[in-house]
Amino acid sequence: MPRSPEDPAVTGEPAAAPRRFSVTKVEVEGREEMKIVELPDLEPPPWNEDARLTIVGQRVPRADALEKVTGHARYTADLHRPGMLHAAFLRAPIASGCVVRLDPARALALPGVRGALLTGDVPGITHMGAPLFDTTIHWAGQPLAAICADTPQLAREACALVELEVEPLAHAVTVRAALAAGAPLVRPAGNIPRNQPRITTRGHADAAVAGADIVITREYRTPCAVHTPLEPHGTVAEWIGDDLTVWESTQGIFQVRKDIARAFRLPLNRIRVMKDYMGGGFGAKNYAAANTFTAIALARKLGRPVRCILDREGEQTDAGNRAASIQRVTLAAARNGTLSAISADVTVAYGYSGWFASPAKIFHELYQCPNVTTRESFIYLNTGAMDSFRAPGHTEGAFALECAMDALAHELGIDPLELRRRNYAARDQDKKRPYSAKHLDRCYAEGEERFEWTRRRVEAAATRVNGARRRRGVGMASQIWTAGGGPPAYATVRLNPDGTVDVLTGAQDLGTGSRTIFAQIGAEALGARLADVRTVLGDTERTPYAGNSWGSITTASVGPAVRVAALQARGRVLEAAAEMLEVDGSRLLLIDSVVSVAGDDRTMTLAQIGRKLGDVMIMGQGSRGANPSDTAICAFAAQFAEVEVDVETGQVRVLHITSAHDSGRIINPTLAESQLEGGIIQGLGYALFEERIMDERLGISMNPNTHDYKIPTIGDIPVIDAFFVSSSDVVANHTGARGIAEAPIIPTAPAIANAVADALGVPVEEIPLTPWRVLALLRHQT
Amino acid sequence: MRLMVNAEVHILAITGHETLLTVLRDRLQLTGTKLACGRGECGACTVLVDGRLAYSCLTLAAGCQGRAITTIEGLGQPGNLHPLQQAFIDLDALQCGFCTPGQIMAAAALLAENPAPTQDDIRSAMSGNLCRCGAHPKITRAVEAAAAVLRTASARGATDAA
Repeated sequence: MPRSPEDPAVTGEPAAAPRRFSVTKVEVEGREEMKIVELPDLEPPPWNEDARLTIVGQRVPRADALEKVTGHARYTADLHRPGMLHAAFLRAPIASGCVVRLDPARALALPGVRGALLTGDVPGITHMGAPLFDTTIHWAGQPLAAICADTPQLAREACALVELEVEPLAHAVTVRAALAAGAPLVRPAGNIPRNQPRITTRGHADAAVAGADIVITREYRTPCAVHTPLEPHGTVAEWIGDDLTVWESTQGIFQVRKDIARAFRLPLNRIRVMKDYMGGGFGAKNYAAANTFTAIALARKLGRPVRCILDREGEQTDAGNRAASIQRVTLAAARNGTLSAISADVTVAYGYSGWFASPAKIFHELYQCPNVTTRESFIYLNTGAMDSFRAPGHTEGAFALECAMDALAHELGIDPLELRRRNYAARDQDKKRPYSAKHLDRCYAEGEERFEWTRRRVEAAATRVNGARRRRGVGMASQIWTAGGGPPAYATVRLNPDGTVDVLTGAQDLGTGSRTIFAQIGAEALGARLADVRTVLGDTERTPYAGNSWGSITTASVGPAVRVAALQARGRVLEAAAEMLEVDGSRLLLIDSVVSVAGDDRTMTLAQIGRKLGDVMIMGQGSRGANPSDTAICAFAAQFAEVEVDVETGQVRVLHITSAHDSGRIINPTLAESQLEGGIIQGLGYALFEERIMDERLGISMNPNTHDYKIPTIGDIPVIDAFFVSSSDVVANHTGARGIAEAPIIPTAPAIANAVADALGVPVEEIPLTPWRVLALLRHQT
Repeated sequence: MRLMVNAEVHILAITGHETLLTVLRDRLQLTGTKLACGRGECGACTVLVDGRLAYSCLTLAAGCQGRAITTIEGLGQPGNLHPLQQAFIDLDALQCGFCTPGQIMAAAALLAENPAPTQDDIRSAMSGNLCRCGAHPKITRAVEAAAAVLRTASARGATDAA
């Protein structure tokens, strides 16, 4: 409701005004936070299943596709500023020790080298849990100094001229080494963080295991995976007086602004952070990092703009990863397959720092089970920090849980899909609350039908005759992930005098399609033609706040704010049109950028209204309201895989993936399907290829590049049939949409592993399923 | 030296070790060609040299005298897109877009040699171009679609000529 100056909330008089601020629960990547919410001026009725929408839900082309296919889209490394210099890092060549001597004199003597940044030049600034340019070495690849020069090549060459003397200390780069008696201390207080193992319990798992009809225990291992975005982390920083402008490849412009303000003790209104295009993040680009701080500090020191882009080795060793895990899982069940207990001991090969992304959380969520106990330990190692990587924790945990479910199905002689149906969780038992909506049952049903589960199972079995070289197998797995988003998120919708419309919001488009879908939501709610609406994102100075693009939250957080802003703008447009047409506003309709009068043939276009208004600027402001209380808002999916294994070479080929998803209303099916395919393909890499390999003796990564760290190529891609079964989720928020991004990667590795187990007749307990691991499984069998 | 890029001649003083990628990006400001690995592993820097695929990060600029270099900027422009560019838009064969110029240039090199590639041909020719967002299924479809458009156009051209 618009407020007038007489409104007590504005004049500050104590009165029974509607509350402006409240608190609400927001869940991001498994972490729950209470957030203050500024309640929107209007909370429109939800777009329910019957809402007649003409732009939302349409397969319109990606808004920024033209820029991308012509090479015009400017990424951070494509920016040139007058007088710009380039920074490169000197990195630690060992995993543990200290810097005895670091002398940049020879580097600085090189013509074209303009300066260096050393320990002590950036006091109080940390990177990946350690002081930036620390003289104590905690992991190989840690930045020790930065050199700034006229070209990136020269900066790198100069780094090689820095005289560096280090004193190595014993390191621990594996869990085994870190937990051994007399292990070197990664952290002074020990290699296990305080208060661990972290124990999470409901019911009495031990008693239930003791009394169960059947109990299975298996140990699963997942690798350390590296995000490997094609575009590395990077920053361009420029000072003009006391004003700092930063172009950053980031998933969170406002987060980066906050990080910079804290690091350099600057007022927020002196910092502008921009991100126009970025070449992938996948969770690795949520905060300011060494590249950000280095570019800013050097730019200030040298009085010129500075660009700092990680090289590939820096990206692969010092920009986050999905930590490896060892998960010992016990499932207890009745003969009919009903789970009575889940118990798990989880050890995470954590690295030097990061956050405790929980593999065990999904054990508490995915299935109906009264007794669940998990114990998690995160072990400090002399390796690069972990960071959120698409569904952090759940992707690792789903591999263990969903493979264990298949092992249980095998023991009981029950169809794996049927076993999952028998343990369906209709409510969130962990927090004792309902789901806003849950159609995992439909995912099972439609996935089963489209994959032709029974036919493929029978036909795959027929390939497994004695002596056959290529054996087929099928498997499946399912998934849950929080995807409700929440406040704070803001948007502004602006009508220009020519009838065009700007949607402004401080979100980011990582390639996900947010530019496109916010234009769709804005056009729909306003009544404008989509072609007239443009989204402006990624600039802390031009756009109102929206949070990081992480945790599958963007659509469900920012979408409602855009809708409210557009509705407010629509109200103002209709007020203006009512006066111009001298009719009652209730008789007006606004569709396709045309205002028409009911029962009358008069019309006015938005452009005509805009022209008449002159330079009066109609603006709508929208914010994201509160989440429903005591409700779990999640994305669900069931995924089915068929594989073919060559038993002579050990090579696994994925032939077909069917993936059925429940994510609420879909704003743009084409873009959403692209995102599903992308998640599935990353999951395929996790299942088959991806593994950071550490040399235990040297303490360094053996594959910090895109040749030896294998990500899927176009030659590895199966037929993918990814689709949505869902309908509008009117409980979640008034657009009916939930998140998509992370859901598809979660079940892929276990679905593929279960299919390989089916093909070989041997349980699969470790990924990635490289040829040598598959051959080892076959040897184990015979 | 004389470097011909997208049918324009540039006179440049180039040192022996400068790569074609560096010259394109840093000297000619043709930043559509991307640096992602710098060692010929990812394909983001793919351009055409005399119509054939080349990784510009592994190509010395000094060796390109007298050759015709085509970058993504020279393939097609808004209002006059190459059928590959149009197909990538129509079929949503991209997400973040960072690898897209390299993908399109690799596909252009393929179609120049093989106007009617099978899906296996496409997979084989394009497997040197990494995409982390996972646009591959749609890239395959876009290359097929563009090949069909180009074949129709060339058939029409042949008819018109006859």
